Amino acid sequence: MRRSAPFWLAALTIVNGWAWSAPPAVDFGRQIRPLLSENCFACHGPDETNRMAGVRLDTREGALAKIKPGDAAGSPLFQRLTHAKPALRMPPVASGRKLTDDQIALIKRWIDEGAPWKMHWSYTPPARSEPPVVKDRAWAKTLIDHFVLARLERERLHPSPEADRRTLIRRVTLDLTGLPPAPADVEAFVRDKAPNAYEKVVDRLIASRHYGEKMALLWLDLSRYADTHGFHIDSHRVMWPWRDWVIQSFNENKRWDEFVVEQLAGDLLPDSTPAQRLATGFNRNHMINFEGGAIAEEYLTEYVVDRVETTANVFMGMTMGCARCHDHKYDPITQKDFYRFFAFFNTVDEKGLDGKRGNAEPKMFVASPGQLSEIEKMDDEIKSLRERLKEKDVDEAQAVWEKTIEPAVALQRRLRAGLEMHYDFEGGLEDSSGHYRAAKMLASEPTYESTPVGRGVRLTVDEKMQLGDGVLEDDKQPFTLAFHVRPTHERTVRLFDKGSVLQAHTGVSGYVPYYKRGAPLTLHFGERKVVSEAPLLYNQVTHVAILFDGQQVQLFFDAKPVGLQVLNDAPVRFATREPLVIREFQGHLDDLRLYSRVLKQDELTPLATHLSAHRTSEIPPGKRTREERDRLRGYFLTHTAPAQFRDMAARLKKLETERTHLGEVVPGAMVMAEMKEKPRESFVLRRGDYRNKTDRVEAAVPAALPPLPPGAPNNRLGLARWLTDPSHPLMTRVTVNRFWQQYFGIGLVKTSEDFGSQGESPSHPELLDWLATELICTNWDVKAMQKLMVMSATYRQASKSNPALQERDPENRLLARMSRFRLPAELVRDNALASSGLLNAAVGGPSVFPYQPAGLWDELAFGREFTAQKYTPSHGEDLYRRGMYSFWKRTVPPAALVTFDAPDREKCLSRRAVTNTPLQALALMNDPTYVEAARHLAQRMLRDGGRKPEERIAFAYQRVLARAPEVRETALLARVAAQQTARYAKDEAAARKLISTGESKPDAQLPVADLAAWTNVATMILNLDEAITKE
Amino acid sequence: MQDIRQEVELALTRRQLFSRAARFGLGIPALSSLLSGATNAPASASHFPAKARRVIFLHQSGGPSQMDLFDPKPAMKAMFGSELPGTVRMGQRITGMTSGQSALPVAPSVFQFAQHGKSGAWMSELLPHTANVVDDLTIIKSLHTDAINHDPAITFIQTGSQQPGRPSLGTWVTYGLGSENKNLPAFVVLLSTSNTPINDQPLFSRLWGSGFLPSNYQGVRFRSGAEPVLYLKDPDGLDRSSRRLMLDGLEQLNRMRHEAYADPEIETRIAQFEMAYRMQSSVPDLMDLWNEPESTFKLYGEEARKPGTYAANCLLARRLAERDVRFVQLYHRGWDQHNELPRHIAMQCRGTDQASAALVTDLKQRGLLEDTLVVWGGEFGRTIYCQGKLTETSYGRDHHPRNFAWWLAGGGMKAGLSYGETDDFSYNITKDPVHVHDMQATILHLLGMDHTRLTYKFQGRWFRLTDVHGNVTRQLLA
Repeated sequence: MRRSAPFWLAALTIVNGWAWSAPPAVDFGRQIRPLLSENCFACHGPDETNRMAGVRLDTREGALAKIKPGDAAGSPLFQRLTHAKPALRMPPVASGRKLTDDQIALIKRWIDEGAPWKMHWSYTPPARSEPPVVKDRAWAKTLIDHFVLARLERERLHPSPEADRRTLIRRVTLDLTGLPPAPADVEAFVRDKAPNAYEKVVDRLIASRHYGEKMALLWLDLSRYADTHGFHIDSHRVMWPWRDWVIQSFNENKRWDEFVVEQLAGDLLPDSTPAQRLATGFNRNHMINFEGGAIAEEYLTEYVVDRVETTANVFMGMTMGCARCHDHKYDPITQKDFYRFFAFFNTVDEKGLDGKRGNAEPKMFVASPGQLSEIEKMDDEIKSLRERLKEKDVDEAQAVWEKTIEPAVALQRRLRAGLEMHYDFEGGLEDSSGHYRAAKMLASEPTYESTPVGRGVRLTVDEKMQLGDGVLEDDKQPFTLAFHVRPTHERTVRLFDKGSVLQAHTGVSGYVPYYKRGAPLTLHFGERKVVSEAPLLYNQVTHVAILFDGQQVQLFFDAKPVGLQVLNDAPVRFATREPLVIREFQGHLDDLRLYSRVLKQDELTPLATHLSAHRTSEIPPGKRTREERDRLRGYFLTHTAPAQFRDMAARLKKLETERTHLGEVVPGAMVMAEMKEKPRESFVLRRGDYRNKTDRVEAAVPAALPPLPPGAPNNRLGLARWLTDPSHPLMTRVTVNRFWQQYFGIGLVKTSEDFGSQGESPSHPELLDWLATELICTNWDVKAMQKLMVMSATYRQASKSNPALQERDPENRLLARMSRFRLPAELVRDNALASSGLLNAAVGGPSVFPYQPAGLWDELAFGREFTAQKYTPSHGEDLYRRGMYSFWKRTVPPAALVTFDAPDREKCLSRRAVTNTPLQALALMNDPTYVEAARHLAQRMLRDGGRKPEERIAFAYQRVLARAPEVRETALLARVAAQQTARYAKDEAAARKLISTGESKPDAQLPVADLAAWTNVATMILNLDEAITKE
Repeated sequence: MQDIRQEVELALTRRQLFSRAARFGLGIPALSSLLSGATNAPASASHFPAKARRVIFLHQSGGPSQMDLFDPKPAMKAMFGSELPGTVRMGQRITGMTSGQSALPVAPSVFQFAQHGKSGAWMSELLPHTANVVDDLTIIKSLHTDAINHDPAITFIQTGSQQPGRPSLGTWVTYGLGSENKNLPAFVVLLSTSNTPINDQPLFSRLWGSGFLPSNYQGVRFRSGAEPVLYLKDPDGLDRSSRRLMLDGLEQLNRMRHEAYADPEIETRIAQFEMAYRMQSSVPDLMDLWNEPESTFKLYGEEARKPGTYAANCLLARRLAERDVRFVQLYHRGWDQHNELPRHIAMQCRGTDQASAALVTDLKQRGLLEDTLVVWGGEFGRTIYCQGKLTETSYGRDHHPRNFAWWLAGGGMKAGLSYGETDDFSYNITKDPVHVHDMQATILHLLGMDHTRLTYKFQGRWFRLTDVHGNVTRQLLA
C-alpha cells in the first residue's frame, strides 16, 4: 500500500537499529542535556540579556569552554557542581534547583567518556532507522511493533496477549469513531474467521463519517475552537462552518500537508477556493475583545501573540510564547525571532476591538452564489442609504426640528407634578418619582434593552414584575397611568393586574374583534369592562395613557384619544391594597408613570413623543455621545422628519431587518485576509508590552531552524510551505506523536506540547522518527497512519495490568500492555446516548444547547442586548447531539463536559488532564442527560431485551460494554432489579417522577414500576467505571 | 464497620492522588487530596509555618472608588471642576471611555470621612459597620495594577496574568496545601446577587479555573437555590435508600473489574462515588441555616436569610471556614460606577457594609479570625476626574489602576494598620506601593508558602502565581 517514495527521501539519513553490543555509554541527549537544561540554562542558556558570568551551556562551544573532555575532575563545570563551599556550588541554593549525587555522577561519567555533544534531538530532521531485529518475530504485526518489542526485550518485559475480540472492537470503535460498536458488529467480528477480520473492521470504521468527528476532537482543543469571543461580554461568534471543514477534511482524508497549508494560508494560495479560505479560520479562533474602554492596539498585539503561540505549538511543539518578553531560557529562540515570527501574522486586516455584533473582520460567508449576490446587493443599498441619511440636508432639517422642541428641564418640571411612581427602566427598577416605590421582579431578573424610545425593560410571559404599592387605594382618586409598550407576543397580551380588580389585557376571545397585527386593549375596573376601538399593535412601540378623572375613563394611544366601547356597564372600581403587577406580558416596557391627577393633552404629547429625545436634544450637538446622536437621529427620522427622509429611513430599516435575517440563515466564519494598503509594521516589543516598540523587524522563521525553502514567498504561505517541507525537523514528529497520544493516552513524547529542551525525551526515539518519515513516505496519508497504528500488535494488546507491572511502569510508557483510560468528556456523553439509543448522530451544523442547570450563564453574564448571555436549552432531537456540538461559551463552558476535564478553549491545548473526581460521580448519577439515557436503555431492555432479568441485563451489557455479563454481575443486578421493582410497585408516584426526567416521554406501554426499577439498573451499568473507560 | 471502610478508601484515595500527582509531574507540592478527602493531611507544600490556614476573598467586582470609601482627599473640595493637572496625570494612559472627553475635571467626593477606633483609621460615612471593626483591619491604600479594563484587571488579580490561561489564586492555594475537609471541595466559589441597578460586569469561570493545572483544582461554584453544587440532587423519584443500594452494587461491580485489570483508577472511582454520596448530605447541611440563632441575623442583617445575597454569602463563607474549606472566593458585582456614582455607591455599600463587618466580627468571636485571612477588594480603583456630567452632587468615575484600596483581616495581618499613601488627587502613590504581585506573594506567605517555590512545570517552564515578580510586603505582617 506504500506509494512510491518521494525524491527527497534519499536525503534522509538511514541509521542502524539498536547497537546491541555497544557498551552502555551515557546518552547526552537523553540523560545529560535535560539535566543541564533544568538546572543550568535559566542563567547559562540562550537568553543573552540574563546570562550570568558570560557562561553558556546550551551550545557545544559554550560548554567546551568549561569542560575538558575526558577529564571531569579538571573541568571547571564539574568543579563548580561539586564545590566544597556551598556559596560557590552550582546551581545556587536561591535557584531552588539541586542535582542529586547520581546525577552528578552521571555528568562525571559523561565528561570522562569524552563529553560527546549532539544538537537537541528535535532540531535535526527525523532519521529513518531500519526497524530493529527482535527475538519474538512472530508477535510483530506491523513495523511499529519491532520498535516497541525491541525496547521491551531490552527491559526484559513481555508484551501482553492480544485483547479478546469484544474488548478489541469496542476499543477500536471508540478510538476511530468515538462511539460504541453496535451489538451486531460485535457479533459479526467475534464470528468472523477470516484472517483479515480485524482489518475489515478497521477499514469500515475509518470510512465512517464519525471518524472525522473523532479526529476533529483534539484538533478543536488545539485550535481553541469556541462559539463565543471569550473576553469580557463573551458574545456569540459563528465558526462552526470551520469546525465542519475540519471534520470533512478528515473524512475526505485530505493530505496532511494540505491540511496544514490551507489552515495557515489558504487565502494566499493562487486562485484560492472558498473552502481554502474557510480553512484559515484556524487562526481566527483566538479570543477577541470589545470591552468598552479597552485599547485597540493592546488587543491587536494579543491576537497576534496568540497566533504565534498556537502555530508554534500545534505545528512545532515549540513554546515560543516564552520569548515574548526576553530570549527563550531553554530553547534557541531569541526575542527577535519571536517578533519576526509575529510579523507573519501581524498584517491581517483586523481591528483591535471587534466582534460586538457577531463575527469580527475579516470574515466570509459560507453561502450559495445566489445568496451571496443577494447579500451584496442589499449591503450596497444599505450602505448608500446610510450615507444619504448622513448628508447635510438631513442635519439641517433636524436642526430646524430641534428648535421646536420644548426644553426638557421645563417639561420635566411640569411633568413631575402629581407623579407618584416613575420607572425609567434605564437599567434598574428604582422609582425616580421621589417616592421610593421601587419595583421588583418576582423570581427572575429583568433584561434591559435598547428600544427605539430609549433603554427599557424586556419581560417574558413567565416573568412577573411588581410595582410599588400604596397608590390607587381610593375609587374616587383621579389618576393617569402612562407607559411605552411594545408587545412581542402575538396572542393574548396581559399587561397589568391590581388584585384582579384593575386589569388590562388584549386579545380575549369572542366578543372583541381580532386583528392580525394587533388586538384591542381591554380594561377592567372591577365589574366595569371597556375595550378600545383601535388595536394595540404588536412589535411596535405605542405610548398608552389611561386617564381617570374621578368619573370617566379615557384612553390615549400615542397621545391621540381612542374610543372605548363598554362591554360590561358597572361603576368604576379599582381600589385595592394590592400592588400593581405586570404578568404574562411579553415585550418591552419603558417610562412607566403613575400620576395622581389627569394629564392634559399638552403634557401627554411630549410624554408620548418620547421624552428621551427631548432630553437628548438639549445636549449641544458637539457634546452628544454617539449613542445619543444615533438615538436622536433615529427618533427624528422615524417620527418627525420630512416625508422623503422618513421613507428612506423606513426602507433602510426594512433592508436591515431582512439582511439580519439572511445573515442568520447564511452562516459565516472569521478568516485570514491580508491588509491591502500599508500592512502593519512589526517591532520587537520590550518586555512584550505593546507600548514599548523598539527595533523594526521583517517576517522570518527562527534562525536556529532551517531557512524558508527556496522560492517560497516571505509570508504565511511561505511559512506553511516551510513547515510542510519534508526536511522540517519538527512538524511531522509533532503530528505523529499526537496521533499516538490519541490511541495510547500518552505520546511517545509525553510533553506533546513541548519538543524543546525542557520537554520530555521520546520513550521510543527511533519509532517516533520512523513514524514521522512514514507520514511523508505515504504522501501525508492521514488515514493510512491511523490504520498503521491501530493495526499494530502493540495496540491490540490486552490492557490488563498486574501489581508488578503497575509498580514497574505505572504510566505504561514501555507498552507491555495497552493503556486503559477514561474517555474524553464528549465521549462519556456520546456513549451513554448511543448505547441507550438516544443519540442523534447528525454530523456538523450550528452548535446546540443540551440540558444544563438553569442560570449558569445568567449568573455570570452581562446580559442586555448582547448575544450568548442566556442559556436556552434546545428541544427535541438537538438535545441528543454528540458532545462536540455543545455550544462552547468560553467564560462558562458546557458544565457537564468541563466536569470531565474538557477545557475552556481560551488557549491552545494539546493534552487534557484525566482527573477522577466526585463531581464526575455526581454528574453520572444525576445529570438529566444520564438519567434520561438510563431510562431509554431500560425501555429497550424491557421491550427488546427479553422477559427474564438475566436476558435484559445481558442485553444492556452488550450495548454498553460490548460483552456478556459474568454470572455474579448478573446476579447482583438482578437482585437490585427485583428489590427496586418491589419498591416502585408500592410507590408508583415516585416511579412516574423518575421516568419523567428529560424531555422525551416515557414509553406508555411499559409498566411504570418496572420501567423505573430498570432505569436504576441501567444507571448502574452506565455508571460503571468500565462504561466510561476505554479498555 | 462503615468507618473502617471509609478509612481504607481514604488511604487508597490518598495514594492514588500521589501517584496521579507524579503522573502530572507536579513539582514540590505533594498535595493531599482535594475533593477526595484526607482529613489530617498536613499542609504539604508549606515552606515555613503558616499564619493562615484558609482564605475568604470578598472580591468587589467593578472597582470600588477608593476616594469615596477609604482614601479621603479633603483638598479636592477647592478643586471642584478644575482640570486634572498634567503634572499629576503624567501622560499615563486612560481608558477609551474618557480618553475622548474634552476635559478631565476633578470631582471631589461628596461623602464625609472620620477617624475610627484606636487605630484612628479613616473611613467614609458610607461604611459605618466597617468603621466599627477598623482595629481588626489592615487597610492598604497603595495597591496598584497593570491593567486598565475589567477583563484583564480581574484576571490579573485572580491569576497573576492579564491574559487568560493561568491557574487562579484559589487553585494555587489548594494545589499547594490540599484539603482539610473530607466532605466538601477545598475551593468554593460564591456569586452574590447585586443590589444596584447599574449593569454588572460579567464574570468568567477562568477566574476560578485551574488553567494548566489539573482540573480537579478548579473552584466549585456553590449556587443559591435547590442545587448548590451541580448535579447534587438525586433525580425526583429516587430515594436515599435506593441510591445507597445502587452505589453499593456499583462498588461491587467495579471491584470485580478491578480484580481483572488491577487499575488503581477503578479504586479511585469507587472512592469518588462515595465522596459524591457524602456530599449529597454535607452540602445541604452546610447551606441550611435553620440552626443559626437570631443573633446571627442581627449581626449580618436580615438580608442574610435570603439565599444568594451578599449577606447570606458572607454567612456561608463563615460556615465554610468553620468546616475548614481552604479557599472561599466570593464575587460581588456592581462597583463599576461610571456615572451617578454617589447614588449607586451608597446603595452598594448599604448592601455590603454590614455583612462584611459582620464576617470579621463573627470569625473573631469564634476564634477563627486568627487563622482565616479575609480579603476585601476590587480589581482597580477609580479616577478623581469625572466621567460624564459633573454636578455638585453627582459624578461618575472611570477605571484607575495606579492606586486603589483593599482591606484585609486576620490570618497574620497587622491589625489596625493603614498602609500606603497617595497624592492629593488619589492619583499616584507617594509612599509604600504594593503591586498586585506583591499582594499575591504576601497572601501565599501568610499561608506558609514561598511564592517563588510554589511552581508547576508546563510547556517546559516552571510557572508561578506571581510570574517572575512580587515581593512579600513584610510591613503588613503582624
